[in-house]
Amino acid sequence: MADLFIPILIAFIMIFALVKGVDAYSAFVNGAKGALPLMASLMPYIIAMFVAVELFRNSGLSAYLCDFLSPLFKAIGIPPEVCELTLIRPFSSNAAYVLLRDIFSTYGADSYIGKCASVIMGSSDTIFYVSSIYFASTSVKKTLLTIPIALICNVACAIIACFCCRFI
Amino acid sequence: MSKIWIAMIISSLCALAIFSPSQVVGTMMEAAKMGVTMCIEFIGIYAVWMGIMQVMDDCKLSHKLSKILSRPVQYIFGKTDAETEKNICLNIASNIIGIGSAATPYGIKAMQGLDKGDKRATRAMIMLVVINSTGIQLLPTTVIGMRAMAGSISPSCILWPTIVSTFIPTILGILLVAVIYRRRKKNG
Repeated sequence: MADLFIPILIAFIMIFALVKGVDAYSAFVNGAKGALPLMASLMPYIIAMFVAVELFRNSGLSAYLCDFLSPLFKAIGIPPEVCELTLIRPFSSNAAYVLLRDIFSTYGADSYIGKCASVIMGSSDTIFYVSSIYFASTSVKKTLLTIPIALICNVACAIIACFCCRFI
Repeated sequence: MSKIWIAMIISSLCALAIFSPSQVVGTMMEAAKMGVTMCIEFIGIYAVWMGIMQVMDDCKLSHKLSKILSRPVQYIFGKTDAETEKNICLNIASNIIGIGSAATPYGIKAMQGLDKGDKRATRAMIMLVVINSTGIQLLPTTVIGMRAMAGSISPSCILWPTIVSTFIPTILGILLVAVIYRRRKKNG
């Protein structure tokens, strides 16, 4: 269904523009013009995030932290096997996809762990990435409680995800 | 944000210095390269979505869409100008239907609209970032695709748990922001 939705949506917009007598081509070009300056202003933030995440993973610290935190995770119902995924997910989608693929090949996509990992991956987002690029385009320096609140929601998401997976 | 970043960098560097110092520069450069590659890919993705966005804008379609969502958005975000409100609506709409790559440019525009040149984040800004970082999404297309590739017998069986565990935290986030902000105002 999702595969069908986007082409229909875009076709609908184009037909709508045609009916309204709007020049869709020049409007498209005008809008697309903004992408390069936008990305240019976000690039330093994205690179800073990637460097930190890769250093963190390659140094083995994320694995250590998982070993350390896994009893805590177990206590709130999150299997230790998805611990690293839960930790990396807020920082980087790409790194999390790598971990998800590892989990699928180790435990299988239809195992409880595979399902938990899928749901966690699908229902949460990259908190640190989102907040760094969203705030990057503004003058805000103090983000107040944005990240703590987002992290609380993320933990709640992981707990609910692992709970729901018991029933499928 | 900057504290977390610095802590990550320093602790990782210390660990690498002890165990394998030769990896440091290589890892950093590899990461930077990944970042640049992703930016270049995103220029393409954003160009397409921002182009389509502009078409929607020019034929007043986005205006209509935001009218539908404007009541709940006004309720959650408080008073904003029409342009910002439209961007927030479109950001949330594209998140829900699962085109996250289209949501980001709207979100950034909305953030710029909410920006009053203040150094402290406003309630509406925090709200927008929290809603975006809980990832409201109805169709986790990428995950379903990956499950299918990994040989799952029912790749989309994770659909309802995903929807449940994305909406409850989103509501929790909205409530937390609303409650904390109110308390702040009373104190100040």
